[in-house]
Amino acid sequence: MNTKLNNEIIKNVLKIRISQILINEIIKKGELKIPIHLGLGHESIATAVDHIMGENDSLFLSHRNMHYNIAKTDSVKKEIDEYYLKSTGMASARLGSMNLSNKEKGIPYASSILGNNLSVATGYALGNSILLENCITIVVTGDGAIEEGSFYESLLFQKSNSLPVITIVENNEWSLGSKIDERRCDIDLEKMNDSLSIPYKNLNNNNPYDYIDELYMIKNYVLDKKMPFCVEVDIKTLGYWYEIQPEYPNGKFINYHSGKAPEITFDNNPIIENSKFDPVFVLQDIIGEELLMSLYKETATKLIDEIA
Amino acid sequence: MNYLKYFNELLSNTFSKNDNIYVYGQNVATGSCLSGLTRNLELTKNSIIANTPNSENSLVGIGFGAMLRGINAVFCMKQQDFLLLGLDHLVNTNNILRNDDIKGSFTIICIVEDGGFEGPQSASNNLSDFASFGRIECYSMTNSSDTKAIVENNMIRPGFKIFGISQRLLSNDLIQINGIKNGGQNKYFQYYKGSAVTILCFNFSFVYGKILYDKFIEKNISASLFSINTFISFNYSEIIKDITNTKNYVIIDDSKSANLLCYELINSIYDFCDINKKLIIKREFTEDYYFPRSDTLEIDYEGVVNSFTK
Repeated sequence: MNTKLNNEIIKNVLKIRISQILINEIIKKGELKIPIHLGLGHESIATAVDHIMGENDSLFLSHRNMHYNIAKTDSVKKEIDEYYLKSTGMASARLGSMNLSNKEKGIPYASSILGNNLSVATGYALGNSILLENCITIVVTGDGAIEEGSFYESLLFQKSNSLPVITIVENNEWSLGSKIDERRCDIDLEKMNDSLSIPYKNLNNNNPYDYIDELYMIKNYVLDKKMPFCVEVDIKTLGYWYEIQPEYPNGKFINYHSGKAPEITFDNNPIIENSKFDPVFVLQDIIGEELLMSLYKETATKLIDEIA
Repeated sequence: MNYLKYFNELLSNTFSKNDNIYVYGQNVATGSCLSGLTRNLELTKNSIIANTPNSENSLVGIGFGAMLRGINAVFCMKQQDFLLLGLDHLVNTNNILRNDDIKGSFTIICIVEDGGFEGPQSASNNLSDFASFGRIECYSMTNSSDTKAIVENNMIRPGFKIFGISQRLLSNDLIQINGIKNGGQNKYFQYYKGSAVTILCFNFSFVYGKILYDKFIEKNISASLFSINTFISFNYSEIIKDITNTKNYVIIDDSKSANLLCYELINSIYDFCDINKKLIIKREFTEDYYFPRSDTLEIDYEGVVNSFTK
């Protein structure tokens, strides 16, 4: 599929970015009672997943699910209303943020418990196979949740039962306030999957076009071969900051697990970091500043009108 | 016919009338088929019975996922103790899906290890604690009447529930008995109505209660006999009415839980009934509670009956 210069893809990346920045402004004002986990920097994989999903495909999310929910929703306002716990919210104030799902858009379930969604997604995929549905199930997890036993258990069951499940591991290196090398030994996911004869792919350039092409190939592969697939995505959750502390005169790196990103503000520049870890910066490299800014203004105006 | 064979036939009969059933667990499709529990089940359209890896935590989550997709999932497990590995889903996943518009069903059938002598790690017979943790619909069953009603009415009903069957009863002859009342949609059953004493059996105590009932009858003492098959509060009014009439009651609860549903019922009895005589037979916590010991609840039946004749 030729996805080059598809403005809808660019707009979706920008919609996810801008919506999160606007939600961050709400968090900064202290208007939300529920915990919020921003997914700034996660926009490319969310856009790609949204793009490749067919009508009968399903997506199972974790607590950091905002980017996927925004990618799939027709109404960011309804999502924000849910965060405010209004009856007009996406789930009528029954789910809040960490469990926010959207059945109508192919998201049956989201879990705030690390690793919990993996087996629920696996059971759902099994149900599809019993009902002879030719579709895929995608489950999103993280580098923290793969430490849970349920990660291995679910892969084992998927492989044993020939289930077309794509497990996406968003590896941002952080679990709460601890980096991988501060909490465990390295896990070679490719080798781990290989031990179960499950194919593996690493995505790391944050180019939404490449991600879409790769995920389409993987989707076709798992449907054709009737087998699971594991995709590891290298991600940097943006919005971190450096805090000056007595023992850190040059600033201590603060990776916020949830809540506000204090240094992120809504302004005329949607790029947070000039590196390959920022999907919007990557987009600018592909389409040029002029088109990016034009689409940014168009998307931002539309979102602000909707939310207001 | 022993209890296990009876339960196996009820399962098969229920499955033969429903589609999209997924029966799964360790050793369910080969080997002993859980000592015969899942042998030769009659399955219909789109139904499957399949062995699984040993992954109880995920197997519980998989049941919820299949239910969410509209499948009637039935996870059969050898021992309730292993269900502790699935507590995350029993509580957290269930808490989300209980409010969802669910078309499928998910039933866990676990054999409650109450045969005794298993040792510290296979000593839990506390189905009530699972029920309490996540306000889960749990059912114990012990005889022809309650087992038939609970399996036929609840197995394929949308939503999640746990069925507990007693290890020590499996190879015993089936207790053939007809209930005169199925209360609160299979929450309790009344088997006899008497005028002098009310016997209330919790958890898997019905087998003791039936013996006690027979002893009362031998002494020409008219007794009511109930089994309470669920573990979370329900409307006790019919039971209270019976005790109001008899003014005497015996409660038997063989659960090892520290939080017994019978305590709540006792409070209600205090509120509404004038009682002449009461007796509560339950386990006493001793130093060897978790050692490999007999799991049988020792009851001095003659002593109990005599205490009500004085």
